[in-house]
Formats: sequence, structure tokens, C-alpha cells
Amino acid sequence: MTATALTTPPAPRAERFPVTRAALRQLALQRRVWVGGGILLVILLLAVFAPWVAPHDPLEQDLLHMLTPPMWASGGSGDFPLGTDGLGRCVLSRAIYGARVALTVAIVAALGSMLLGSTLALLSGYFGGLVDRAISYLVDLWMSFPPVVLSLILLVGLGTGVDKVILAVVLVDWTRFCRVIRADVLVIRRRDYVLAARLIGFTHLRTMLREVLPAVVPLMITLFSIEMGVAIIVEATLSFIGLSVPPEITTWGQMLADARSDMQSSACVMLTPVLCIIVTVLGCNLFGDGVRVALDPRLRLRGE
Amino acid sequence: MLSISHLTLTAHLGGQSVEVLRDVSLTLERGKVLGLVGESGAGKSMIGRVIAGHIPTGFEVTKGRIVFDDTDLLTLNRKAWRRLLGRRIAFVPQEPLTALNPVLTIGQTFAEHLAHLGVPAAERRLLMLQQLDSVHLPNPTELVHRYPHELSGGQCQRVLIAMAFAANPALIVADEPTTALDVVSQATVLRLLAEQRRIHQTAMLLITHDLRLASHVCDDIEVLYAGEQVEYGPATEVLRRSRHPYTWALDHATPDVHGPQRQLPTLAGQMPGVSALSGISGCRFAARCPQSQAACTAEPPALAERASGHWVRCIYPREVGARTPVAADEAGSTATGAWRAPRGDAATPSLVELQDATLRYTARRGILGQRKVHNVAVNQLSFRVQPGEFVGIVGESGSGKSSVARLLVGAEQLTSGRLLIEGQQPTGAKALRLTREHVQMIFQDPHSALNPRRSVYRLLTQAYESDRMASQRHPRQERAHQLLNDVGLPQDALMRFPSQLSGGQKQRVNIGRALCVMPRLVVADEIVSGLDVSVQAQVLNLLIELGRRHGIALVLISHDLSVVRYLCSRVVVMQRGNVVEQGNTEEVFANPQHPYTRLLLASVPPADPSIAWPSEIAVA
Repeated sequence: MTATALTTPPAPRAERFPVTRAALRQLALQRRVWVGGGILLVILLLAVFAPWVAPHDPLEQDLLHMLTPPMWASGGSGDFPLGTDGLGRCVLSRAIYGARVALTVAIVAALGSMLLGSTLALLSGYFGGLVDRAISYLVDLWMSFPPVVLSLILLVGLGTGVDKVILAVVLVDWTRFCRVIRADVLVIRRRDYVLAARLIGFTHLRTMLREVLPAVVPLMITLFSIEMGVAIIVEATLSFIGLSVPPEITTWGQMLADARSDMQSSACVMLTPVLCIIVTVLGCNLFGDGVRVALDPRLRLRGE
Repeated sequence: MLSISHLTLTAHLGGQSVEVLRDVSLTLERGKVLGLVGESGAGKSMIGRVIAGHIPTGFEVTKGRIVFDDTDLLTLNRKAWRRLLGRRIAFVPQEPLTALNPVLTIGQTFAEHLAHLGVPAAERRLLMLQQLDSVHLPNPTELVHRYPHELSGGQCQRVLIAMAFAANPALIVADEPTTALDVVSQATVLRLLAEQRRIHQTAMLLITHDLRLASHVCDDIEVLYAGEQVEYGPATEVLRRSRHPYTWALDHATPDVHGPQRQLPTLAGQMPGVSALSGISGCRFAARCPQSQAACTAEPPALAERASGHWVRCIYPREVGARTPVAADEAGSTATGAWRAPRGDAATPSLVELQDATLRYTARRGILGQRKVHNVAVNQLSFRVQPGEFVGIVGESGSGKSSVARLLVGAEQLTSGRLLIEGQQPTGAKALRLTREHVQMIFQDPHSALNPRRSVYRLLTQAYESDRMASQRHPRQERAHQLLNDVGLPQDALMRFPSQLSGGQKQRVNIGRALCVMPRLVVADEIVSGLDVSVQAQVLNLLIELGRRHGIALVLISHDLSVVRYLCSRVVVMQRGNVVEQGNTEEVFANPQHPYTRLLLASVPPADPSIAWPSEIAVA
């Protein structure tokens, strides 16, 4: 790569810009990108600035104010805008702090499974033959394991913690990327332009990165956004059964688990984490779908 | 029986209305054949769709009548119209393989069609077998249990013809019925259509891009250009005494298989797209017309009867027999004006040579892949290419000609035999990559051959991104402009993407990319088969010019014998992986020795409309 960079006269700027600019313009035209991106941005800001935004410490127990209703209901107070849970912890603060774990897991786990799955998919689809068969068998074998059991085994073996949760999600979900992207790579591999690149003198690696990879990027982004949503839900599920993180870290799943016993008396304690999960996953899906449409030149031209 | 008068079809595109078909009139009498001829985008298929009642959304018939058997189809309600279709009007589609439902057997599809026609269940099977037998399909009782993918394209088309004629229709609308087929099946299918028409006394509307083919099959011809009929009259009249410059150019842009060689005249540019039509005030052909004058762009010319029954839409029609000055690039013609395909010098050492080349594919069958099935794609092929020589390889689909192309560029490895490039046998990965500098390939389908994510600039000079960069003599940008000039693309094309180019332009980019590394040999696989006739002529002349200018040799793989004769001085005829005949193109075509070569040559529609065609071709 570096050798090429040294010997190639730098392409004039104008030649590369229109591509990016057109993609950005398309991105701006997509309403889904604005809505989804807006949701994600708000949640991201809340997570980053949690200590300043949250009215209380998420672990601070106020045993005098247990199960306070939200501020708009009778008996609610401005101190606890969304009320308190069974231990007198501020629901709003816990929801805000819960976003930190949720987003960390979502982004890192999705990135991890994307990298692992796509790399294997590219190798498998591009080279075919023995490589393809080996990787495909591995995927088949992997997928025949029930995902819940697999992640349970992992977490029981490794112990709890955010990094372990991320590892569990990556190891369970890379197969999804691998399968779907391999199918796309197989189609693109047969396009004549891939052969053309080889004839021109591209190495296998360069052909893969320059010709095949860009064609599957839109699909990767879509899968990435879906995977973010899945990771959030998996994390919540694992916290719900108490296998995800130690109790001193606040997560939405834990909030759900804690709220289960008080479900009858205070619905808000239960509904808040549920709404958080739904809105965040929706944001991920909308954003990913919009970006995919904007990045795919075929869909783009149809739109114009 | 069928008469269309002043049909105007308007498309509503983002607020503006465009007349996609303008003032089209035609009449078709019982038992006659009318050819609708034009290049893609001329609106010929749209006429078929209007008759079928399949007008796409956003389109609307704003004027005119379609009278079939004294009823105006456009005033009929949907139900009555549909009742006519299939019974009185039948259709033969363009893509036989996609027209048949892949999950149903031929028998099931056929029975469904007969049920739609109202044939009682008890009679269906007998009628089906009769029909299949009448189109000369071997062993109909067994055929009805087969699935479409088990049949060849020609056989599928015959099944569809049998279905179309089952209702004993008064009119058949055949939309490019042979375009997807190879030459031999094309002749067979056309013969069958003629035979069936005679038996059933059926009229036919033949939609085709091939003017010559139409002149042999049709009684009348209507030539369309950009939604307007430019010429209309008896078939021989239109072809022999064409008065409209477009008809003349269309005919002369097709190379001949026999007779004296001549340089193909080309029309500049391409047909305007639908969105460009509204901006044209006068004659829609004026922008490409070699003899257009000021009056042409003022207002649309009217259709006028220039001879009895011969209508022309042109203010200045050609005089019969006059030589129309068509802008021709002189690069191809020699001093004497006679046409000569680029030939090599027999004395020089050969550039590329195949010796006893055999390519065998091994497929694994059985559950565990335990049985190996060998499939010989190329058998004991020997041939050589001299520097600067244009060699053609012809044959039907499945003859192994594309495998030869893949062998030459190194995409397949020989099972046995030798491939010599400049007298050396490339071995090892590095040597293989070096030979690739000498041999490049132009691909058949420009859509698949161009990465949609690369701009034309990055496509043309893609070789600059490889490690072989050191061998390039010019900076990338300079080379891009050189290549752009070489292949005749406008300067502003550099920034565009493949999806913003026309088919002909894409093929030019395809050619330019192959030329970037200055190869000595270019392998071209069916590169003009998807192009319109006038664009095909442009590309052919471009190849000759580039070959002459840069001393490049070319191996042209094609099923089109006329194209091979135009470009190539030597020809190799292949059948099922074997070479059945090879030699000097003129000699082989004038005096074919092998029966297969004779069959191929007889399948090409001759230029002279008075020769009966398709004639003594055995229906296989």
C-alpha cells in the first residue's frame, strides 16, 4: 500500500470529492438518518454526560422515598422526575447511567462481530473451495449451538463484567455477519470487474479490499445497526438473569429485573427501561437503514 | 384486421409530459407480417405493451385508436380486453427462459394456459401433445414432464410458440423472439413461426432490432426512431430503396457475411432518452442526421407518401441509390478505399500460441462428491495469433469459445497442452502476472465488468493502483485523458459513474481500461452482442482504429459471423470444444468445408431481401 502511495501521483482532489459529497448529500436527504441519528446522539450525550445530567447517584438509596410515583402523578415530587424503585433509587438517574453500558456493549460488540464475521466471510466467499467449505462448516456448527446456552457457558466460565458480555455477544453473533456477507461476496466475486482487477495486476488482497469489500459495505452497515440493537437486547437479557455485570453497575436489564417484584405497585419503574431499550434499538435500525440507502449508488440514483 | 391510427403515448415525468410515442399509425392485414424495427429506446416494445394493455404507470394514451377486428381496444373495459388476449391475440416473449415458471413442468404450464383458454380438462393433454409435436419438439410425451431449466433457450421458445398458437389466434405479437437465442436457433424459431402462421392463417407483429432479419420475415416494415415512425412500407421497398437517412444507416451499419467488404458508416451519438425528448422541437433524428439542415430542427416533419405505400417522415428524403455522406472516420479504410481486416505478418514469430490446449472441468456428483464428472470445454485446440492480427473465434453457446478466452488471459489453467506468450511459457505466479501486461480482456457485459463504485477516471486507470505502477510511463491523469481520447469519450465523462453512462459508452470504458497497460493482445468476448446496431458499428470501427494505431492484436469471440468477418482476417470455428475449421476468413466464409460452418453461415440473414431466408435449415 505504502509503495503505491509513494509512486502514484496524488489524484487531484476534485476527483475524489464528488463521490463523498454525493454520499453526504444523500445522507442528509434521508429522513431516517436524521431521526435515527438524532435519537442515538441524544442517548450518546446523555450517557457521556451522565454525572452532570442525572439528578441523583444511580446507586444512592433513599429508603424514605421507596416507590415514589413519577412527578406528574399524585404523590410524585420534582426530586424524582420518574419516581423511585423498590430501594428508593432514582429511576431517571438509573436510566441515564444504564445508557452507558448499553451503548458501550452495542457499539463494541457490533464492531467486534462485524470485523470477525466479515473477515471470514470475505475469505470464504472470495477464495471459495476448501477455505469456503471449512468456514461454512464452522458457521453451521456454531449456529447449531443454542445462543443462550453458549453465552451462559461463556459468562459462567469467564465471570461477569461488561467486557465479558461483549465477548459473549461477539462470539455468538459473528455467524450472522459471516453468513449474510458471504452470500453477497459470492455474487460479487462472479462479476467481471473482479476478474478485470486481477488481470490488471491486482493482488488477491487488493482485489478483495478495493473491489469486493466496498460492494458489501452497505450490507455491513445495515447488519451493524441491527447488531447494535441485538447487542443491547442481549445485554439486557443477560443482566435480567443476573449474569451480565456486577450489581454496582447500573444497566437497563438490571432495572427490569429489580422492577419485576414491584411491577404491580409502580408501572413506571418497569416501563422506563423498556422504553429506553425500544427507543435506542429503533434509533439504531433507522440510522442504519438510512445510511445503507445513502451509500448504495444503485439505490441512490433511483432516488434522484 | 389490426389498425393503429395516430397513437400517441404520453409519459408524465416529474411534472412534464413527454410524448414517448408520437403519432404512430400502422395496419396489419389478416395473415400478414409487419415488422416493427428500431434500436433500444425507439418505443417498439411499448407498442406491443399498449396492445397487451400493459401500459406502465405514469404513461397514458393521449391520442389515437387501436382497432382490432372492428373494435377499438382502447374503449374496451379491462375484462373484455383480457378476454381477447391469449385467445385472439397471443404473445411470444423475448426471454423464453424467464417466461416459463421455473417450478412448474412444461406440461403444467401448458395445461394452465389451456385452462385459461377454456379448453375442457379431458382434451387438454391431447391438444398439448399435438401442439408440441407441431413445433417439431422431439418426444412430446416425455417433454411435458421436464422443467424449463432442462431445456435449451430455443426449445423453451418453441414451447412458448406452441402455447401461443394453441388458441388459434388471429394475431401474434412477437417481441424480439430470437434475440436471446444463438444464430442457429434463431433461424429455426423463425422458420417455425412462419410455418405455424401459414397453418393457422395468423397475422404477426414482429418487434425486432434487426432490420435485415425483418426484411426476410415481414411483408411490411415500420422503422421507429425515438418514438416516431420514420419509414413505413413494403419490406423489400424499405430495405432496398430506403428513403429515410436513419433506415439507410441502420442497414449499412450491419456488416455483411458475403460480398465485397466495406467500411461501416457510423452515426454519431446515440438515440435520445425519454427525458431528452421534450427538448427536441423538430425532427427527433436531426441531431444525428448527416444531412440535417436548418428546416429539420424547426418543426417535426410530417409522414409523407413518397412512393405508393412507402411513407417517409423526412423533409429531405434520400434519393434512391444515392450515397449518403455519412461521417466516417478514415482510419480503417486503406488508400484504395477497399476494406481490409487487420492481418498479421506470417513471417513474424507468433505473439500468443496455444498448442494442443485442453481444458477439462471436473464436477463432483453424489452426496459426498465421490463421483467425478469430466466436462471437456476445450479439446486439443491449437492456434496462434501474430502481432497486430485480428482473429475471430465463432461458435454457438456451449462451443467452448469463452473458455478459450479465459485460457488466454490466464483465468483458467490448462488441463494439458501449452500456452506460449511471445514464445515463452509463463510459469509461476510472478511470470503469470507479467504476462498479464501483454494480454488483456474486454468483457461481454459492461454492466458486470465495471465496478459501479468507481468513476470513469478510476476505472480507466485502475492499473495504476496495482504494484506494476513502476512500468507506467505517464502520470495517471495524463494517461486518463489519453485513454479518454483513444476510446472517444467526452472530457466530462471522467467524473461520471458507470450508471450514468449509456451501453455504448460503458463498452468504451471497458475497452479503455484494457488498453491502459498497453497490452499486445486483447481478448474480446462477445463485446458487441448487447449493443444496438449503430453503436455496434462505432465500437467495431474503434477497435480497428485502436488496433492499427497501437499495433494491438485482437482475439474476438463472437457468435455473430458478420462481425467476425468485418474485424478478423482469420477465423476459428468451434463446435462442442473442438475446432472444426480454421483459416483465412474470406476463404472460410466463401467456401466453407465443414457442414457446421455451412450451417452457421446459412443462419445469418443475408443482406439481399430477395434471397429466401430462413431456408433449408434442418429443424433439429
